[in-house]
Amino acid sequence: MAEPLERLTNLLALLLETKMPLTLEQIANELHGQYPLNETARRGSFERDKSVLRDLGVPIEQQVLAGDQAGRTAYRIDRRRYELADLDLSADERQALQLAVAAARSDDAWGQEGLWKLGVGSERPALTVAAMVPSFEALPPLREAASSRSPAVFVYREVERTLDPYGLLLRDGYWYVIGHDHARREVRTYRVDRIHGEVRVGAPASFERPADFDIRLVFPADPKLLGEPEREVTRAIVRIAGSRAALVAAEVGDQAVVRRFDDGTIDVEVPCVNRDAFRSWVLGLTDNAVVLGPEDLRSDVIQWLTAIAGAR
Amino acid sequence: MARPGPRPAHVRLRRLLVMLPWLMQRGEVPLAEMAAHFALTEGEVVADLELAAMCGLPPFMDELIDVFIDEGTVFAGVPRVFTRPLRLTAPEGFALLAAGRAAMALPGAEPHGPLGRALDKLAMTLGDDGVVVELERPALVDDVVAAVASCERLSIIYWTPARDESTERQVTPRAVFTDGGHWYLQADDHRCGDERCFRLDRVLGISRTGITDARREVTLANPQRWFTDDPELDRVTLRIPNELVWMVERYPLDSLTPGTDADAMSTVVMPITSEQWLRRLLLRLGQRAVVDAPTKWSALGADTASAVLARYDVVNSAN
Repeated sequence: MAEPLERLTNLLALLLETKMPLTLEQIANELHGQYPLNETARRGSFERDKSVLRDLGVPIEQQVLAGDQAGRTAYRIDRRRYELADLDLSADERQALQLAVAAARSDDAWGQEGLWKLGVGSERPALTVAAMVPSFEALPPLREAASSRSPAVFVYREVERTLDPYGLLLRDGYWYVIGHDHARREVRTYRVDRIHGEVRVGAPASFERPADFDIRLVFPADPKLLGEPEREVTRAIVRIAGSRAALVAAEVGDQAVVRRFDDGTIDVEVPCVNRDAFRSWVLGLTDNAVVLGPEDLRSDVIQWLTAIAGAR
Repeated sequence: MARPGPRPAHVRLRRLLVMLPWLMQRGEVPLAEMAAHFALTEGEVVADLELAAMCGLPPFMDELIDVFIDEGTVFAGVPRVFTRPLRLTAPEGFALLAAGRAAMALPGAEPHGPLGRALDKLAMTLGDDGVVVELERPALVDDVVAAVASCERLSIIYWTPARDESTERQVTPRAVFTDGGHWYLQADDHRCGDERCFRLDRVLGISRTGITDARREVTLANPQRWFTDDPELDRVTLRIPNELVWMVERYPLDSLTPGTDADAMSTVVMPITSEQWLRRLLLRLGQRAVVDAPTKWSALGADTASAVLARYDVVNSAN
């Protein structure tokens, strides 16, 4: 029997060359002696080969035949869908892409695999300026869905969401996907690293992206507005120590500063839609922030702290 | 290059499908160059090409590709089936676009340079890219990038949060990078005589020295884990309820041991950049998180919470 690599290569060549879709029997006949004779074993080997090719990105088409072959499945590969279009990249454009991939320094191999297809080698140029671009399994299907205007389905905070993704944004080291949420009927932002499991991509051309859409403008100005509201938006008043006042004012915006004291202390009014996120934000400032009100938010933080203080 | 075990068939096929069109276009190429281009050993290239040369379909058996190797040079003949590379997969397309968009946001990028043109061409095959990368940078970054280019030694005042102290030192900038929303300077630190990373938002002052040092290429600090390379960093062992593990997953962890069903507590060992940072983490994790080691931090969460509560005693809405 042929080596697995040899059989895979021959199968790929055969499906690319054939004018007519071929059944497994025809394939086994053409690749004489390479697939097992036993029908179950042959089907098993072929299914494994097929899934290897699909995982590589090979677009294998299948159709169920009619006529004297009725009910049998036949396979072929459309060369136009298989082949990379000629991008006509010049030498300096190739080199620029190579530098970009090196500078992104992702720990996956996706960028280099892509570069090889564009004729760029794996030699790594020396760099003095770089940006780490974090990488997650959910990103490629989300980008594809945004590009082809297909709805994306994924699990976020244990709830399945259907989103018409308008785009992806890397900001402050996090990837966000922004789009129209079907169930909520409004534009929503989700953090991509919090998406759990697989992203399923639906039918293309299912939605229109608003013509004037700019992901940077739609992004919620306040990270505490991200995700799913558990309750109505509450306006919380938080007192910030002078040493952190400038940093916090820059973060929440000057219009959120409702009171200024001579010693530099400020009071800010911030939205709270998610208690966990709000508490996390306040506690990140440790003793430089005190929640003044409303009373139930203040006592929520006090209870949380009292529990920790008593756990010694 | 050492690899664990033989390369599986799908890995070899993936590489073969980019090697063959590349080879056909060149006609002939030194074996060593081809191996370096594809990050393979010469032996691996030869093995894969020999195997490919045995592949074929009737009526052109053994003629799928026409290739032979002689005296360290690979010769390719008439292309047959694999004349073009396979289209880009979704992950490859994403990685190229995201890397390209990020590089366009780096200091020194030319909006209409070769990278911009390459990205425009990529968009023709990948469709509207839908990827926006923002790398907001403090003004300091451009100054430091210029110092890297000229190898000029700088004098900086650097705040170390772990000790809450500022020190002045001379450094020779070698590289600048951003990771997780922060900018870092990789430099020769003349105070300790070693290479170090500095977070630029902790550089409180910077001045030029007029001293120019010899150029030296550096390997960029390891992505994600770079700051844990610092052997001076303290380690902490935490026990955290399983449902809160996500809060620490984004940090570099030395180890994560999931909890059993019985107690549902995971054990995490992680480097700590400063005690102040650990204080904030413990407040966020809440009462069920426990510092197992070192014992000097056993009460750190409780002490921090008490200190914050003391502020609540003083400050209320009445004043």
